[in-house]
Amino acid sequence: MTTELILFFSLALIAIITGLGLLISKNAIYAALYLVLNFFTIAIFYLLLGGAFIAMAQVSVYAGAIMVLFLFVIMILGAEKLGKSNTVAWQRPVAIILSIILLIEAGYVLFWRTAPVQAAQTLPDGFGGPASIGNVLLNNYLLPFEITSVLLLVAMIGAIVLTHKQKTDKEV
Amino acid sequence: MFGSINTSMILAILPEIMLFILAGFVFVFDLVWDDSQRRNLGWISAGGFSLIIMISLMLGTPGSDSGLVWGGMLRHDWLGFAFKMLFLFGATITALFAMDVEDLGKKGEFYLLLIFSTLGMTLMASSSNLIMLYLSIEATSLPLYILAGFFKDDDKSTEAGFKYFLFGAMASAIMLYGFSLLYGFSGTTDLDAIAGVIKAGGMNPVLLVGTLLMILVGFGFKISAVPFHFWAPDVYEGAPTVVAGFLSTASKAAGFTVLIRVLLTSYAPASDTWMMVLAIISTLTMTLGNTLALAQKNIKRLLAYSSIAHAGYILIGVVAISELGITGSIFYIIVYLITNLAAFGIVSVVGRITGSDEISAYDGLSRRSPWLGLAMLVVFLSLAGMPPFGGFIVKVLVLASAVKAKLFWLAFVGILNSIIGLYYYLIVLKHVYLYRSENEQVEIPVTRPYAIGLIVLTIGIILLGVVISPWFNVSTIAAKVLF
Repeated sequence: MTTELILFFSLALIAIITGLGLLISKNAIYAALYLVLNFFTIAIFYLLLGGAFIAMAQVSVYAGAIMVLFLFVIMILGAEKLGKSNTVAWQRPVAIILSIILLIEAGYVLFWRTAPVQAAQTLPDGFGGPASIGNVLLNNYLLPFEITSVLLLVAMIGAIVLTHKQKTDKEV
Repeated sequence: MFGSINTSMILAILPEIMLFILAGFVFVFDLVWDDSQRRNLGWISAGGFSLIIMISLMLGTPGSDSGLVWGGMLRHDWLGFAFKMLFLFGATITALFAMDVEDLGKKGEFYLLLIFSTLGMTLMASSSNLIMLYLSIEATSLPLYILAGFFKDDDKSTEAGFKYFLFGAMASAIMLYGFSLLYGFSGTTDLDAIAGVIKAGGMNPVLLVGTLLMILVGFGFKISAVPFHFWAPDVYEGAPTVVAGFLSTASKAAGFTVLIRVLLTSYAPASDTWMMVLAIISTLTMTLGNTLALAQKNIKRLLAYSSIAHAGYILIGVVAISELGITGSIFYIIVYLITNLAAFGIVSVVGRITGSDEISAYDGLSRRSPWLGLAMLVVFLSLAGMPPFGGFIVKVLVLASAVKAKLFWLAFVGILNSIIGLYYYLIVLKHVYLYRSENEQVEIPVTRPYAIGLIVLTIGIILLGVVISPWFNVSTIAAKVLF
């Protein structure tokens, strides 16, 4: 139990530090790399909770594919150096008020809720594992799964249709 | 878990499978053909859609048991089936009307997106699970966002596409939040099982109303009901006319199917709660649509406000919560789809030649093209609710259902609004028949696809109003599913 607690708190510290680094760093590449670290720590949280599949998905999809895309975009745009951000005048006070409300809410839940948190029903063995997810996905949810592929195809066609530059007669 | 796939499951998604195959055909021919032949993609799409209707009518009609298939994702029943056929019909006509539109009729992407959007609608009509429902709504909307902004070089079309996308994304985000709360508190995504939980009092009344309102935001956007109607006039005005026609008919009909199904299955035990909400929305929608239509100078904006008003009339039948009311609503949707498709078809024909969508461009239309003038007369009188056209009988049905449900005030508002509507529809006809214009000698040619589409639709409008029983029976069978 104690090793788990130590692991949890050290990971939580890393997650918060990388999150802050992401917000504060002035260089977009550094910010993106902080985000990668953050994703990795969260993936380990999932592992601690016994969600092997979702941890792997987190690493391969977020930390892998999406972050590579981010870095490419930053590189192509040449936007490493973040310019002076132009904020709207009322943005800062509103943000401060909202974050105070959020803090109060979190504090309320932490300190004033006396009833212990009820455990949800005990999960069956292998819940959330690759086998059970695959089983559900290709049985009950087969049709939605297939429709998702149609959705992605439409998104792809749409991106091409809307961004493809028409050749003029001279260029042909 | 359903084990292996059997025939009844295949038959339940027969139209969807065939739509996918049709998409494949369009894909291949778009690649093989050169620019001079690509117009024929319209014939392929329209022919394919009508072939799918015929095959589905022969093989895919639902049985009497109306069972769940695909692990409870879809419900193969007459409500879904009737609407599927309706969407396919709308897509057929839209493909025909698109063929001779410049920069659009010769593009395979247009037909492909049209097919995928129709595929989403057919799934919307029979979804019986929140996950399936959400995915099919997105599969319908995503192609439509792109189609609305199809003319990239035209600022108005780009604006329409972008506006439609932003409004749509916002509405569907709120709806999805509603779905997630509904799932969180009922513990199931199955529409019938949710009804069971609500009936057993398993949900806090505040939460019940909250989720209901959030879901209504999404559905209200689809059917362009007040106060979620702001996008409609701008999008209809800017989008390509054929796309606007498809948006205002098939897409709206699809919105109504899910609205009817979700309210009358999942929320059926709480019908007292939503009845009043929907009655108010219906009143506002009718009144605002009709009064704002009075001031319009652009025919596409006028039709947009008129289509908002019609959504209000259709809601009357839903508010009545009776078999007669739903029958009336379904019948109304059938008539509305056919009539409004014809209206946008005519606007497209005239707009191609005159290059303008102002109502003043319609001066002397009856002299320039008598047949087009006649079609316009039939369409607008049907929209206004004049006998012997389809628009009359369906208005009678929904108003009768309101009276029968003791909602006299709602029926009264409906009648008052019909009178306002009559005024602006007749103004347009006055331009067509009484006003003269200087270029009366310039004829308006109607190409073959337009001619076929408009003849079918005009005859349809008259048939719907004269030979009532078959359509009424179909609507009744579809409505019976819910009671």
